[in-house]
Order: sequence, then structure tokens, then C-alpha cells
Amino acid sequence: MSWFRITLHRSAIGLPERTRGVLAALGLRKRSQVVFHPVSAQFAGMILKVKELVKVEEVDRPLTPAEVKAERTPEPGFWLESYVAPLIVCWCKPRGT
Amino acid sequence: MSRALLCSVLELRAPAATASSMRPCTLQLQTRLFNQTAAHIEPTMASSLPPAPPSKPRRDYGKMAPPKKILPNPPRPRVPTGPTTPPPTGPLNPSVRTLLPLLASQPGHYLSVHIHGRPYLVTEGDSIRLPFRMRGVEPGDVLRLNRASTVGSRDYTLKGEPWVDERLFECRAIVTGSETEPMRVKEKTKRRNRRVVHKFSKHMYTMLRISEVKICKDVVEVEQA
Repeated sequence: MSWFRITLHRSAIGLPERTRGVLAALGLRKRSQVVFHPVSAQFAGMILKVKELVKVEEVDRPLTPAEVKAERTPEPGFWLESYVAPLIVCWCKPRGT
Repeated sequence: MSRALLCSVLELRAPAATASSMRPCTLQLQTRLFNQTAAHIEPTMASSLPPAPPSKPRRDYGKMAPPKKILPNPPRPRVPTGPTTPPPTGPLNPSVRTLLPLLASQPGHYLSVHIHGRPYLVTEGDSIRLPFRMRGVEPGDVLRLNRASTVGSRDYTLKGEPWVDERLFECRAIVTGSETEPMRVKEKTKRRNRRVVHKFSKHMYTMLRISEVKICKDVVEVEQA
């Protein structure tokens, strides 16, 4: 089963209630939000109603919100090679917090 | 008028009351009135407090056992302790193969390293103030920076697409400590309202010192590794 990956590219500010209702039905609250819906005539119709605002892609499987967030999180760009023991030993908090 | 006196006065008004109908307390009061004074007992802490309600479990599970505590996932390390992605393999671009030794042979080099996606143009000996406090590091820790979008020298520039191959350079930074910004105050208020809330901010920032910038000279060795 394939899925629509729908991204809200344009905001709904200033748009009529009907259009806002369609976005609410799709689950799109904010700009750049990504939602996944199965490919069917109902969802295709909703997308066509707001086709000027969204970007759509067909994918094999839906991503979880955590996976979507991980996609846009940049890499740290570093890693800890070596560390020293702290000079002042604090028994309350673990190291580095 | 005290209760004891009142009771005694009422008794005197109704002398027909028999001994059986008499309330026992009045007898005590009458005797106490003349012969005894009420003992003054210091109230203890325990007696002054209201009596503790009987202990009752908050939820009555009945025959079911109370739910077990669900332990959260093990906490993520604050700082990665190894490269997050495996180092790239495969042959290098032919232009890199030919020109990198020339770049490496020049005296000074600079890198545009990316920490959490933000670029910092650095060379050896530079101090960077990161716009955040890096958690999980202490002063003296050595960080290996492996994301660079540009590596350059005076006459040559190596541009990554989007990153320069990790195997071609080495960049190490030492955490020197953290510093704070001057205290700043935000006044929050509404129009025609005299109440002003003052919010104080004093953020901390981690300082790094770039201790090492090395460009690899042996391209063949890199390719074979």
C-alpha cells in the first residue's frame, strides 16, 4: 500500500474557512508540517482542494513523527575523542549535566 | 457565668428533682466548684494536631496487582562518543586526487566546520564561542570535528558536496570552558496596565579552541584504507 507524504508549504492565514477545514481534516496545523495518509480517492480529493498549498510525494511506508524530526535534525558534526576527569567531583549530578 | 454555677443555680430552682434524675455531671460540677479547681494540662503537640485520618490506599485495585513502573528508554548520551555515520569509502574525485597534495603542501589552512548544522570558519589556534551550552562535556575534553563544507589554503579551495570527505582532514577542538552573557532584563507589560514583570536571562555558552587542523597529504593511502 502506498502513502501520500503531504507537506504544508503555504500557510492558511487569510484563507477561507472551507480551505482551513480541509487542512484540519488532513491534520496539517503548521507550515512545513508533514503528514502521511494512505493513497485513496478521499485523500486525493482533499489534496486537490488544497493543491496550491501543499507538496505531495508518494512513498512506500509512513514515517513516525520521531523519524520525520530526525530527518530534519542536522548531524552533530563532532564526537568526543577523549575526556578528562573533572577537577571538582560533585556527588549530586552525573558528569557533564 | 460559668457552666458550673449555671448548673447549680438551675438545680436550686428545681429542688423536686430526685437523685436518679439528676445528671451525673452536675454532681461532679458541684463538687468541683467548691473543692477542686480544674487542672490545667499543657496541650502537647500531638493533642493539638487534628487526628490523622485512617490510611487508605489512593487507588483500590481490588484483585489486580498495582501497575509496574514502566522504565523509560535508556537516556541518550549527551555527546556522541564516536562518528555518527560510518566513514565514506570509495575512490576520490580525480581533481581531489591531483590537487589535494598541493593544497596540503601550502603553509596555512582553514576549514568551514559545521557543528549542529551551523558553519564556523576556523583555522588552527582559533577560539569559537558556540551559541549554546554543550551538555555532556567538561573543560579539557577533545572533540573531533568531522563535518566540513570547505577546506582551503591560500591558493586552493576544496568544496564539499555538501561535505568534504572525512578522510581528507583532521580537526580537533578542545573545550576550554563556558562563559555567560551579561545579565539582560526583559520587561513584560501590557498597554494601560501598570504591572511590569521583569524576566532575567543569563545564558551560558561553550568555548572551544581549535587545537589541530591537518590536511592529509597521502591521497593514495586514504583511498586504499
